[in-house]
Amino acid sequence: MKTTTMAFPYPVALDQSLALETAVPAAYAAAPVGPKIIARQVNFFYGEHQALFENDLEIHRQKVTAIIGPSGCGKSTHIRIYNRIYELYGEQRASGEVLLDGENILDPAMDLMELRRRVGMIFQKPTPFPMSVFENVVFGLKLHYKLSKGEMADRVEEALSKAALWDEVKDILRQPGTALSGGQQQRLCIARALAVEPEVLLMDEPTSAIDPIATAKIEELISSLKSKYTIVIVTHNMQQAARVSDFTAFFYQGRIVEFGDTQKIFTNPSNKKTEEYITGRFG
Amino acid sequence: MKPRPPTGRRIVNGVVSGVAAASALLGLLALAWIFLGVLSRGVGALNVDFFTRLPNPPGIPGGGLANAIVGTLAMTGLATLLAVPVGMMAGVFLSEFGQKSRLADHSRFAANVLMGMPSIIIGVFVYAILVLPRGKFSGYAGALSLGIIMLPVVARTAEDMLRLLPNTLREAGLALGAPTWKVTLAILFRAARPGLLTGILLAVARVSGETAPLLFTALNSPYWESSLAGPTPNLTVTIFNFAMSPYPDWQQMAWGASLLITCGVLALNLTARFFLGEKHS
Repeated sequence: MKTTTMAFPYPVALDQSLALETAVPAAYAAAPVGPKIIARQVNFFYGEHQALFENDLEIHRQKVTAIIGPSGCGKSTHIRIYNRIYELYGEQRASGEVLLDGENILDPAMDLMELRRRVGMIFQKPTPFPMSVFENVVFGLKLHYKLSKGEMADRVEEALSKAALWDEVKDILRQPGTALSGGQQQRLCIARALAVEPEVLLMDEPTSAIDPIATAKIEELISSLKSKYTIVIVTHNMQQAARVSDFTAFFYQGRIVEFGDTQKIFTNPSNKKTEEYITGRFG
Repeated sequence: MKPRPPTGRRIVNGVVSGVAAASALLGLLALAWIFLGVLSRGVGALNVDFFTRLPNPPGIPGGGLANAIVGTLAMTGLATLLAVPVGMMAGVFLSEFGQKSRLADHSRFAANVLMGMPSIIIGVFVYAILVLPRGKFSGYAGALSLGIIMLPVVARTAEDMLRLLPNTLREAGLALGAPTWKVTLAILFRAARPGLLTGILLAVARVSGETAPLLFTALNSPYWESSLAGPTPNLTVTIFNFAMSPYPDWQQMAWGASLLITCGVLALNLTARFFLGEKHS
């Protein structure tokens, strides 16, 4: 797949013709400001059953947005629209508009592979592939970039370092990814997602299956990643939402009840349902 | 209210588990009996000549079944080469691409029917489409009929093994921007490898003892055949012919061949178990 137009952060080559191509990447020039993702009137259906109702949401650039709400309220369903992963299941469908840098990702003409390169996803349970640590990280890289062996190794190290895993695995790169601990596996999945240079990271309860110390590491990691990536995190843990996020959206029964600064949502929510939820009266 | 004394239920429980255990034992005994019978009568036939020489005419002692061993291996091998790629792809279609589509439903049904089809019918079918028009029996026809028998076994096990994998693995692959075929080949096949290998081995074991389809297709031959283009010697039809013959030498040879096939099937099953065990550890 061609991804040359997206290769923004690379130093511009001296070759004049190359410099012309990479100097002004269209996507960045067109929409450098404003929210990274805008969801407008999004509905979602599992077959006949409607799970999301008229969701309107703005995901801000290089910030962490937390999505909270009781079980079954549609949190995961909502972010699974952002990379259209729900399409794996034939009976699920979404309507409305989701703009990623102004481009509607629900448009059938959207290139799914390119969309998913730009919008990475981390799942609830760590999902290492049945291959070595190195091959796990290289898997996505090879799909989207044509690189020499040396460049590949550099990118793997870079991705593992960004995911705060390099020091722990640099001597066991050839061992199976499934042999790592749960927390390490989850950071491996983050490294794998970062390797393809996404713009957005969707995290679907990324710490609910791992221990508290590993959770702390991942939360630290989230804070360090937000300088470069736009992050959306679904969480059951309200302390986690308060700790890591800049914005919070409260979902209830498939609707977005309240959205705003995390500080404000947790100290002075304007909706009664939000207040009841964050004070633990239901959920 | 006084509770019912447990004695009655205890007796029923004892009887039911006793009958179940006895039935299991009976199955095991039958297998042991067959194996020991074949072993005791066949082991005398196995010697170097058995594996290196051609069969002798009746009345002349000695000789072997080297040609039939090679013929069986060649036809089974060719059948595997035919059935495994097609069967695997069919399994991938059923599990990954087709899923609940009409085509998948019909193919799954067809595979189930084919799996239960008596193998002699498949032999007659290949006889009609390949042997009759060409006017001669051939190893190719034999391999084709064995391949047709293997096909649904490979396809259904491949589907079942892929279905067992968690959807999270598929989602994780797709979420990186990989196309479905890449996720299937690079991730799912690796994750399901022990199960897929087991399916192939069991399919090979299934056809390595088939006689009926070969009677109509490969027939048999007492000579070395340099290709599969003509009648091809094989162990099962040889057993059939020799065991029915009035000559003790040939009957002995048939026992030897039976032992060889039994051991082969046993080895395939044990290997399959080993692969599955590897997966669980």
